[in-house]
Amino acid sequence: MRPSFSVTWTIARRDLAAFFASPKGMAIFFFFLILMGVFFNSFMHTFFEMQQRAPAMGGQVPTLEQMLTALFHNLHFILILIVPAITMASFSEEIKNHSIRLLHTAPIRPLHIVLGKYLAALLMMTLILVASSIFPLFTIKYGNPDVGVILSAYLGLFLLISSQLALGICISSMTKNQFLAFLFTMLALFMLLILNWLAPNLSGGGLLEDVLKYLASMQHLENLMKGMITVKDIFYFVCFASFFLFFTNVVLDSQRWR
Amino acid sequence: MIEIDRLSKSYGSAQVLDDISFKVAEGQIVGFLGANGAGKTTTMDILCGCIGADRGSARIFGCDITDDPLEAKSMLGYLPDVPPLHTEMRVVDYVAFTARLRGVPKARIQGRMNEVFTKLELHEVGGRVIGNLSKGYRQRVALAQALVHDPKVLVLDEPTEGLDPNQIVHIRELIKSLAGQHTIILSSHILSEVEQVCEKIIIIDKGKIVEQGTYGEILERLDTERVYILRVGGNAARLATELATLPALTPPRAASAETIEFALRKDAPADTIDKVAMLVIDGGYGLRTLNVKTKSLEDVFFQVTH
Repeated sequence: MRPSFSVTWTIARRDLAAFFASPKGMAIFFFFLILMGVFFNSFMHTFFEMQQRAPAMGGQVPTLEQMLTALFHNLHFILILIVPAITMASFSEEIKNHSIRLLHTAPIRPLHIVLGKYLAALLMMTLILVASSIFPLFTIKYGNPDVGVILSAYLGLFLLISSQLALGICISSMTKNQFLAFLFTMLALFMLLILNWLAPNLSGGGLLEDVLKYLASMQHLENLMKGMITVKDIFYFVCFASFFLFFTNVVLDSQRWR
Repeated sequence: MIEIDRLSKSYGSAQVLDDISFKVAEGQIVGFLGANGAGKTTTMDILCGCIGADRGSARIFGCDITDDPLEAKSMLGYLPDVPPLHTEMRVVDYVAFTARLRGVPKARIQGRMNEVFTKLELHEVGGRVIGNLSKGYRQRVALAQALVHDPKVLVLDEPTEGLDPNQIVHIRELIKSLAGQHTIILSSHILSEVEQVCEKIIIIDKGKIVEQGTYGEILERLDTERVYILRVGGNAARLATELATLPALTPPRAASAETIEFALRKDAPADTIDKVAMLVIDGGYGLRTLNVKTKSLEDVFFQVTH
């Protein structure tokens, strides 16, 4: 039996190459960085303005960490567009152009296919995340932010992306229409983002509210953004990703019997 | 060797396959013949593990595709009706990717690729992007992915569909050259293709196997009456009336002044043809030729599917 990683890596490598060979891949990469650059520029202006005005108005001077945390929160919104754009093709494109048969007829398990696709998407997003570090690096060079908080925030973003990609891949495995995969992933991610705020209205308090709040990604990301790394939050993201990867495996396996 | 045993499959209320069974011996080329929608692709998809059957089993060299899919799939090369190509990849990268996917050891990949590229004459387009290739080359690339791991069994779903006449001849020759080294199932609705390439024929219609065997065997079974063409020196019309007196023949028909067509009834005595010949010679008609009119595969296919 071949080592599982070799099969997974073979699939991931092809998907990665296809991503960077297409204009779509490059467009996503630059769209993300340009958008983040615009936010960074705007936040820096506000930061300097507030720094000058705060003492005169008797308020507290904002810190660089606060500025970066605001930037990372905005990143959460950008990801709602970026993650579906990456995952929509994972399976939908292969189902549509019938190349999925190549994977179905190869002597590999459905789980290898799922993990290969996931690894490719995760590597793409990690690269984008690494590229985005130019902005905090800029603040480190010219300011004095708490590096620990930045690292913790990046860990949070990585975990968030890991869970979002698993959800996107799962939705992509259910349809051959890339646009539908994009739309439903975007909606699902948006729901997860606002679940924290919607929970009190949806549940009317009590245990249900706690459960809904626990499911919301924002709740767990908040702690990591503040520099608090807890097992509870990491466990949430790992469980979230594992659940959707497992479900994708089930979807893929069940396609044989439709 | 391939064993399909009592396979059934339905999509909703539509029964696509209904209890089909057949065997393909090792090294044999079998033609899977049927009209569009007869169930050919479904059978092949089940055999290759793309979809599951409702009932029955498909085994490849004893390995059940459902119970032991990894082992069974490792012996398979599949060329589906729509080639499973990644059009943004270069030919070499794509074939190497499929080789890795199918578990060809790293050290052997280059050797296998060279072998397959030579066989399929792909060397000159190896560095090109698949999306920029002609349909014929794309089909060859798709065939390369099915062959690169040197599978025991090759399943080819309409391999010459959409190709030009030269490409068709080339692909057919190639398939013929693979006989013996691989067990091959080839589906087609081009009857002459199956007649030329395959040793055994399976005819499927509306999800059921209606005939299977060698071309000769099928012909033998379907021949309820054998048609003869008799050519004489002249006076064919008069000879036809004389032949009509022989009860073992269907009423003869003079097709021209020198040609008569008649059929031999199934229960005709063995010496009937001798009697026909004697009538021609004794009557001084001048026997030129007496041939059996062979049924084409088109005739056979039409007969069993209508």
